Amino acid sequence: MIELVELDQLVARYGDTTALRSVSLRLRTGELVALAGPNGSGKSTLFRVIVGLVPMAEGRATLAGRPLLALPFLTRAQQVSWMPQEEAEGDDLEVGDYVRYGRNPYLGSLLPEPDPDPGAVERALSASGTQELVRRNVRQLSGGERQRVRLARVLAQETPLVLLDEPTAHLDIAHQLEVLERVRAVAHRMDRCVVVALHDLNLAARFADRIIVLSHGQKVADGVPDAVLSTSLLRQVWGVEAELRRGTRERVPYLIPRLPPVEGPTPEKGARGRRVHVVAGGGSGQEILRRLFDAGYDLTVGALPLFDSDSELAEELGLPLVLEVPFAPLSAETLARLATLLSRAEFVVVAAFPVGPTNLANLEAVERTGEAGRVLLMAQRGEPPWDYTGGRATAVRARLLRAGARELTGTSELLGALSEPRGQASEGQGPTA
Amino acid sequence: MGPSLRSRLLRATARPILLLLGLLGLVLFSPLIGPVPIPWQQGLSILFHQTTGGFLGGSDCSGMVPAPRCAIWVEIVWGARVPAVLLAVLVGAALGLSGGALQGVFRNPLADPFLLGLSSGATLGAAAAFAVTFGLVSAGKLSGGEQALLLPGAAFAGGLVPGLVVLLAALRRTRATGTLLLTGVSLNFLFSAALSIMMLYYQRIDIQVTFWLLGGFTLANWTNDGLVLSVLLVAGLAIVLHGRVLNLLQLGEEVAQSLGSDPPRVIRRVVLLATVTTAIAVAFAGIIGFVGLVGPHIVRRMVGFDYRRVLPLSAAAGAAFLLVAWDVAQVVIPNVVIPVGIPTAVVGSMFFLYLLYRRTPSSGRPGASG
Repeated sequence: MIELVELDQLVARYGDTTALRSVSLRLRTGELVALAGPNGSGKSTLFRVIVGLVPMAEGRATLAGRPLLALPFLTRAQQVSWMPQEEAEGDDLEVGDYVRYGRNPYLGSLLPEPDPDPGAVERALSASGTQELVRRNVRQLSGGERQRVRLARVLAQETPLVLLDEPTAHLDIAHQLEVLERVRAVAHRMDRCVVVALHDLNLAARFADRIIVLSHGQKVADGVPDAVLSTSLLRQVWGVEAELRRGTRERVPYLIPRLPPVEGPTPEKGARGRRVHVVAGGGSGQEILRRLFDAGYDLTVGALPLFDSDSELAEELGLPLVLEVPFAPLSAETLARLATLLSRAEFVVVAAFPVGPTNLANLEAVERTGEAGRVLLMAQRGEPPWDYTGGRATAVRARLLRAGARELTGTSELLGALSEPRGQASEGQGPTA
Repeated sequence: MGPSLRSRLLRATARPILLLLGLLGLVLFSPLIGPVPIPWQQGLSILFHQTTGGFLGGSDCSGMVPAPRCAIWVEIVWGARVPAVLLAVLVGAALGLSGGALQGVFRNPLADPFLLGLSSGATLGAAAAFAVTFGLVSAGKLSGGEQALLLPGAAFAGGLVPGLVVLLAALRRTRATGTLLLTGVSLNFLFSAALSIMMLYYQRIDIQVTFWLLGGFTLANWTNDGLVLSVLLVAGLAIVLHGRVLNLLQLGEEVAQSLGSDPPRVIRRVVLLATVTTAIAVAFAGIIGFVGLVGPHIVRRMVGFDYRRVLPLSAAAGAAFLLVAWDVAQVVIPNVVIPVGIPTAVVGSMFFLYLLYRRTPSSGRPGASG
């Protein structure tokens, strides 16, 4: 791995618009760098400056220690190759001839010279997986084939620095993954420095060794995906709210944009700031948590075991949560924290989860905090296969209902009950304590 | 899926060879026809005798017809027809090559030296030279013959002028078909307006100058042919050497630059060379349209889009096309040679219309529309 490119306080302008303001960065061979940033953040301009298509107004750019832009066109084309976002359709050509254009920097300027490396085209075809397309007409390729063929042309240039502007644009997910997989192999196995402008941050995190983020022509982040990707970055640079998750096996971070709910009036009138505690588990709380979250209620959750699907959802939504080690009885500390959350809540929603010896303590805690009128029990379906406590759970539910708790069927009914004024709810239902 | 090996071979070698053989056949055939009826056997034997210098035996027509008539026939075949045929070959090659090069630069298959207005300056150059020297001739300081010698040179110089406008268009990345053609139309109007003014002042000018307007091979002789050949060799060879960079240019200027070429420089050079090539052709043969359009199109149909092959073969195809037109011009009306620009215009303009209307929106390049 050697230091290949050094950009120092690079400034580039188009007329009056400053497209890049003081960008400094270093690039090394053997690494795949993702260049991210919103539309118009300067990604393409950065590439064009390095290729020499946009003049550098200020700053310094060196390639392997030599000033990059002082290199003659032919020499520079031996150092940097570039795949633009869009390209003229070109003429009716066979793929092989098109890829051979990449060898131009080595063939002399006018008088033809023999290719010093006759194997280069073959290597480029195999690295891009386009050998079987060699005899095809470039105009008759599918989108995925076309991108791979363009990649082959760039690779045939055999430059230490490879710049790819949105190589996955217009590709379906399978082809996106394939192209990026190949690009990563080029960087790692052929020891090139490959910079890929990517819109998809999740693809960037999945494939790149490093992510550089540009915003308004400035570098705002530069580092390994783990360090760069965050919900605050997404909010700050793209103005998008998102959840940050991690892949279970490879721990690769990925972002899920938070979308407005598809149905239902949101946010619910009068929901904001009203505290609701949800007792759930085993996925029983998924719909409740999402709907109440979208409606704007101030949610707390627990107690839940770690790695439970409901607890993971609560984490993604950033909700205050009481956690417990899986398959262990609730500790005294957990119970104390749960009691605090329960006492602060205006409503307590008990989802329809199977109750066993460990989570029975949740139900008992709900009962202990009193004020059964604010407790909303989601109806359990059918006879007690859900009760694995020998009837103790059923008994607690029955006591709660007698004390004024309401039983509800479905999330819509729950939302309705929550939007009713407090007093009415307990008066209408509660027989006597 | 792709073309088979056999069709590739056909493209790469068989068709070009066929084209060159056809051209050779036309070159041998064309001196045998003309307004003066000379039996083809005699014509052939004159050709054979003259080209071999008589060393390989055989004889010209002296054994077959009376000597005085034979001498006239030799003069007609070798002194007039062969130079005219050779000039037609050179001019056709120059225009075909120039058209191919301009199509490459503008990335537009409808570019043509005539349609771009590149040939419009020659007539004006000749007319201007006539006007300037008019006083000298009147004063007896310059003979009419000497003045006639000056005119092709002036036509050549005048032919370079529109090149500057075309160069400007090329460097401003004007590639839309409409813009290109209107540039040519404007230039043609501008130069013909200037010409009209001169014609008002100098009555005798049209006799001298209409030659360039109509086009033809009356200036053909061995000296002039040699002159055209030498310019064409230099400029034409230089154009052909740009085949590879013109290929790159088809991917767009930016990609071409990233592949190590210098597009503005390539464009300047190729337009300049195409202008010189066109000017030398127009200086000695007048305005002959559409050769630069038809030639490269025939070639692309035959061998594909690689400019390294398209350019030299466009020269051959242009030469063949113009020779056919020349033969037609000599025989279509008995005893009359019509200007060669008429058959090329008839065929060429119809071909042009065909190309213009055949192009569906999807087949137009991104650049061709804007």
